[in-house]
Amino acid sequence: MNDPLEVIAGRDQRKRYTLGETGFNEVPKKYRKFYRKWSGQNDKLAPNEVLCPVCLVVIRSARELRPGDRVYCMPCMSRLVVAMEDGMLLAKVVY
Amino acid sequence: MGEFDPHNLSEEDFHAEVHSFQFWLEAVEGYLSGTDFGFEPTLTDQTFSARELNFLITTICNYCIAEKTALEASSGMIRFAPDPESAIFLSTQVVDEGRHLEVFVHRLKMLGVIDPWSEIKARANQSLLKFKDRLLELVDQQDWEAAIFAQNVILEAMEFTVFQSQQPTADPITRSILASIVKDERRHMGFGENDLGRKLVQAPHTRRRLDQISKELNPLVLATFTETASELGILHEDRELAISANYLATIKRLGFAV
Repeated sequence: MNDPLEVIAGRDQRKRYTLGETGFNEVPKKYRKFYRKWSGQNDKLAPNEVLCPVCLVVIRSARELRPGDRVYCMPCMSRLVVAMEDGMLLAKVVY
Repeated sequence: MGEFDPHNLSEEDFHAEVHSFQFWLEAVEGYLSGTDFGFEPTLTDQTFSARELNFLITTICNYCIAEKTALEASSGMIRFAPDPESAIFLSTQVVDEGRHLEVFVHRLKMLGVIDPWSEIKARANQSLLKFKDRLLELVDQQDWEAAIFAQNVILEAMEFTVFQSQQPTADPITRSILASIVKDERRHMGFGENDLGRKLVQAPHTRRRLDQISKELNPLVLATFTETASELGILHEDRELAISANYLATIKRLGFAV
């Protein structure tokens, strides 16, 4: 799993994202910009987004995601790890 | 120090946060504030044909059975929850299930059903009733893993997928009610899958027992899916498969045979 301390120490050269509100309203206000609704199969995910396989909400990060990153899906309380399959980023549940 | 990012929380802090009553309170405020019995009060009812009305009433009657089942089971499970955080989470689920039951009964009354409880009994899906009996048996036995599996994985995944499937074609008021309930179901279903997933990692021997329960309950769940697809008028096979796909994906992620 990738170390979040790398980011704090400034060694992480990934693209950063400024997250804005998405209209997502299923979590407390301070967390809402980290999630958005999924529009189905034609919804193209950005490099800082992965789809939660448990509840089908898009999880957003303030940085570009890479395999091994940990993300949380607060709407369904899942801990996930980002993986690459068939050239696509996806999230896998870690129990 | 950078901006607050929930993905940087420790696992312990994450679980404490999402299982808390405070988290629930601030979450539901986002989508229930300003609603009246689960829908925007500005919405008005459409005109239904007799056939459409009959299907809708049957469907909602069975949603009431599912919600009452979940209300009875989740409240009973608080007594033998393995830790205080799980008990607190279940208390939020009890509130959600009570609300769901109330809004569906209210919807039946809006559709002209004079005695909702008699109508619910008369239109009950037999597979769902068998499932209810079995789930409440597991709760009475205080079998946490089996009860969480039957309720928060099987029943909640079924509700989540059926409600999501009905939403696009439902009338505006029913659609609005279902939209907010699906948001609640995300928490219930996710709690179940993650709690059980952790238990199976810690105690792999429980898998065989749960596999038996899965084999016993899967036919009832799939029969309920089929009958619900029929009630909703979505009879063709592809649609039926799509309804059960999410449920089957959950079972598969946990490593059970489907």
